[in-house]
Amino acid sequence: MLKKVGAVAAFAALVSVLVATTAWGSAAAPRHLSAAAAKTVKCGKKVTIGVAYPETGPAASLGAPQWDWANFAKKQWNKSHKLKLAFVRGDTQLAGANPQAVQVGHAFASNSKILAVTGPAGSQEVEDSILAYKHGGLGVVSGSATRIFLTRAEGGTARETPKGSFFRTVPNDGQQGDNVATFIHKVLKKKNVRIIDDEEAYSQGLAAQVKADLEATGATVTTDHISQQNPDYSSVVAGIPNNTQLVYIPWQVPSMAQQFFTQLRANGKKQIVMGSDGTDDPSTFKGAGSYVSGFPVDTTSPALKAFQSAHGGDPETFGLPTYTSVMVNAKAIAGACKAGHGKTTRTAIRKRLHKVTLTKTVSLLGFPVVFLGKNQGKFQGPGDMGGTAAFGIYKIQKNGTYARVG
Amino acid sequence: MHHLLLFNIIDQIRALGWGGAFTLLRNGIVLGSLYSLIALGYTMVYGILKLLNFAHGDVFMIGTFMGYGVLIAFGGALAPTIPFIPLILLMFAVSMAGSGVVGVGIERFAYRPLRNAPRIAPLISALGVAFFLENSAQLLTNSAHELYNGYALGGKNGNFGPLLNPVFTIDQVPVTVIMVIVVLTAIALMAALVLIVYRTKLGKAMRATSFDREAASMMGIDTDRVISMTFFIGSVLAGAAGVMYGLYIGDAYFFIGFLFGLKAFTAAVVGGIGSLPGAMLGGVLIGVVEAFATGYAGGQWSEIVVFGILILFLLVRPTGLLGSPAIQKV
Repeated sequence: MLKKVGAVAAFAALVSVLVATTAWGSAAAPRHLSAAAAKTVKCGKKVTIGVAYPETGPAASLGAPQWDWANFAKKQWNKSHKLKLAFVRGDTQLAGANPQAVQVGHAFASNSKILAVTGPAGSQEVEDSILAYKHGGLGVVSGSATRIFLTRAEGGTARETPKGSFFRTVPNDGQQGDNVATFIHKVLKKKNVRIIDDEEAYSQGLAAQVKADLEATGATVTTDHISQQNPDYSSVVAGIPNNTQLVYIPWQVPSMAQQFFTQLRANGKKQIVMGSDGTDDPSTFKGAGSYVSGFPVDTTSPALKAFQSAHGGDPETFGLPTYTSVMVNAKAIAGACKAGHGKTTRTAIRKRLHKVTLTKTVSLLGFPVVFLGKNQGKFQGPGDMGGTAAFGIYKIQKNGTYARVG
Repeated sequence: MHHLLLFNIIDQIRALGWGGAFTLLRNGIVLGSLYSLIALGYTMVYGILKLLNFAHGDVFMIGTFMGYGVLIAFGGALAPTIPFIPLILLMFAVSMAGSGVVGVGIERFAYRPLRNAPRIAPLISALGVAFFLENSAQLLTNSAHELYNGYALGGKNGNFGPLLNPVFTIDQVPVTVIMVIVVLTAIALMAALVLIVYRTKLGKAMRATSFDREAASMMGIDTDRVISMTFFIGSVLAGAAGVMYGLYIGDAYFFIGFLFGLKAFTAAVVGGIGSLPGAMLGGVLIGVVEAFATGYAGGQWSEIVVFGILILFLLVRPTGLLGSPAIQKV
């Protein structure tokens, strides 16, 4: 009897290993492009872009502005072009290595209507799903995946995406982290810094970069962590050493930054607070005397004003690069359709992505979009934006407005 | 690694000193008061139905949004159209009543039809209701974090208002008005609950139903009504906790009920699920432990410690601190 049970168990184990191996193989390591990659499609009057973002789950508040800005881009584009845009959306959620992102990748790859992809939002989602997109011949343009290694091999770590498949319309952690650390060191001249990450990939990447840069200048850096699901920061605030001069919070949710600032001041602590682009939202984070890094957007832009007035005055800045991503995809598709006389393939569109350029006025980011074909500087690689793409540093005034200081 | 953590904790204890320890104790008691109020809802429902109402954390979340809705209807914290004390009272009233109705609705439509089903059925239904409430709130709010900005209530031009004034200080650590409000309101509501349960006819019926539902029914007690009232009272407490959470911590978000609810559930288990004093004690205990873990070991340890305690209690003392073992007649 025992032998029988043992044999059945061994067989079951073998089957599960085989199933797991097959599933792994199909999810993560396709060796050939699918037929969909080379399939010729008629452009017609409407073309479809897949938008992969966290629609549900704990990080849905990050996906909402991305979806809003994507829709705004679609509206803007459709107003002035014969070739109209349509979206298919995919909910990747945003929880580290999650299978949802891979599923969306496969769903988009097998949907022959989809010609290009805006997203995924998080660096981990990109890394997990990029081969699924590549297998389908799709290029992806993310507006918020900022990990350096997605576009560049560095310090023994290999590049995490195949060249020519991944692009981003947001400067990476290295660029932002360097800017922030230089500002803290050279302009604010602070030597004791507390860095508090929110345990998400975006936050940890930036925190690590700023910590390394500041420590290289001889500054003392202490660290702590908060969870996006636990907004009671009173004890994290209590744990900040008294000799700390500045607290850097590279978080993704502006309201969390505002709550942190309030709790810090309510506890009688006077440290300067500095946020990242994720907290760059004048309608929410109003902590006077604090700093944020953010896109050097032209606030007088009619498009920006139109978006704000359609969203209750909230600029939802975190979602802005998603607008730019849609514009990049739309331009690549339109160009490929024109070159193919009304017909194109995913491969043709993907190959066109790196040639797309957007002027400063169209990108809305405050700088033009030009993708790099090779490494540049300390952090950027192919798929990153070159030229003047960088974050500015803003100081929050008493009336809550942001003034650029770096 | 472990030695490193230990050294870090010792360094941190030294660096923060007595003032830091008192700050953490203060934070823990305030946070724990909120956990206690929510834990009471878990424990009351468990006491009467032997059901783990996993949707209870989301009733708390709904309460937070209701309070926010009232705040916004009257201009928001930065520019309120009525004086701030009546505004806060109105927020409490609407949130408590609204949450109570939501609780009764959940019981009526998701649990009552399953009253005689196997015990796993209402448990699964509870999880379903939790997801339903979360996702409904997500859709209705477009996944936005809605800031209470409670700090500005009663203040001028967005500056700190009286809620953040210190009532007293110990070793230069202020105990503010909002902290006192949270703790005293929680104590008052818990006292009211104890009075209801031990000094009223409804309370007697609740205790009888909890002891033996069938026998209580045969004695003429309308057990359905008693169960509905239990859900109502538990949800009213969660609604009050929701408003205080908004005023003290800061925002309403569709996902806050998940983790906060789980911690309150942990508090109920630690105190002894089914025991009212246990839920109160468990809430404060979990709040204080969480605060000290966060302040001394770092924010990344708070959940590990809290849920480590849950596992420890389930393994070593499943009846909790003040719970009594269930005796089953065979």
